[in-house]
Amino acid sequence: MNEWQRKSPLDWETYVNKMVKVAAIEKHEYEGWVLTIDPVSASIVLATFLENEKVSISVVLGHAIQEVEILKEGDDEMKQRLSCIFAPEESKAYSPEEEEKRKNALKTWLETNHIPVTEQGESGRTLCVAGVLTIDPPYGPEECSSSNEIILSRVQGLIQGYLEKQQ
Amino acid sequence: LRLPRGPDGCSRGFSPTSLRFQALLGGDTVAAQGARAALRQRYLRGLAAARGRPTRFCLRAGVQVDAVFGAADVEAVAFQVDALRTPLGVQAAALLRCADVLAYSF
Repeated sequence: MNEWQRKSPLDWETYVNKMVKVAAIEKHEYEGWVLTIDPVSASIVLATFLENEKVSISVVLGHAIQEVEILKEGDDEMKQRLSCIFAPEESKAYSPEEEEKRKNALKTWLETNHIPVTEQGESGRTLCVAGVLTIDPPYGPEECSSSNEIILSRVQGLIQGYLEKQQ
Repeated sequence: LRLPRGPDGCSRGFSPTSLRFQALLGGDTVAAQGARAALRQRYLRGLAAARGRPTRFCLRAGVQVDAVFGAADVEAVAFQVDALRTPLGVQAAALLRCADVLAYSF
């Protein structure tokens, strides 16, 4: 493990949203805006903006990093731009009442199918299935989270089928 | 995922000295764990965005190969790619060891 890999996550966080120059082994150099640093491999994810509005992403693996030099700070506009690159797709926005209706309809359907479900979180907007999977608004397959991939896949399939039947 | 023992690899597929295992043992403050989670989530979204894209991998000794990004594993041991272009032809599917990859871009 090199010095870069031994840094703490709080240290790595200070590089996010900054323009950096990364010196890697075998005399490679990479420059770009830091999107994130993977805490598992200490790899740096850099974004470079090309002329045609496109973004090129480069990932430098942690084990190859020798030195990281901060060139400049990103302003608010740049931070916004960077956070949008990997942002999940904007789903159709529902009003609070519609969201509540969707939540209750899904909750009822799950209970009818003998799947234990409770409401969680501030204002009870998150559904919790069998204590191991959570569903956030707007309650589609993409909003399911779980650390058990088998349950995740099953529930996503169920919800997908449920939503299709609703159409 | 069991790979043949590499020059500096643990054939168990995970290394007891890996960052992930160290983090699992604890010793992080709440703030550090929060930072770790936020950084990792962004990274995972990045991997999801890479999937299916033509990617150029920079390997050691100046070797560069093109392939279509498939997936990465949890312990950062290997990358799975499709349509790997090598001097011997195109491999439909292949694994690239993380220890051999210096950087990749898409």
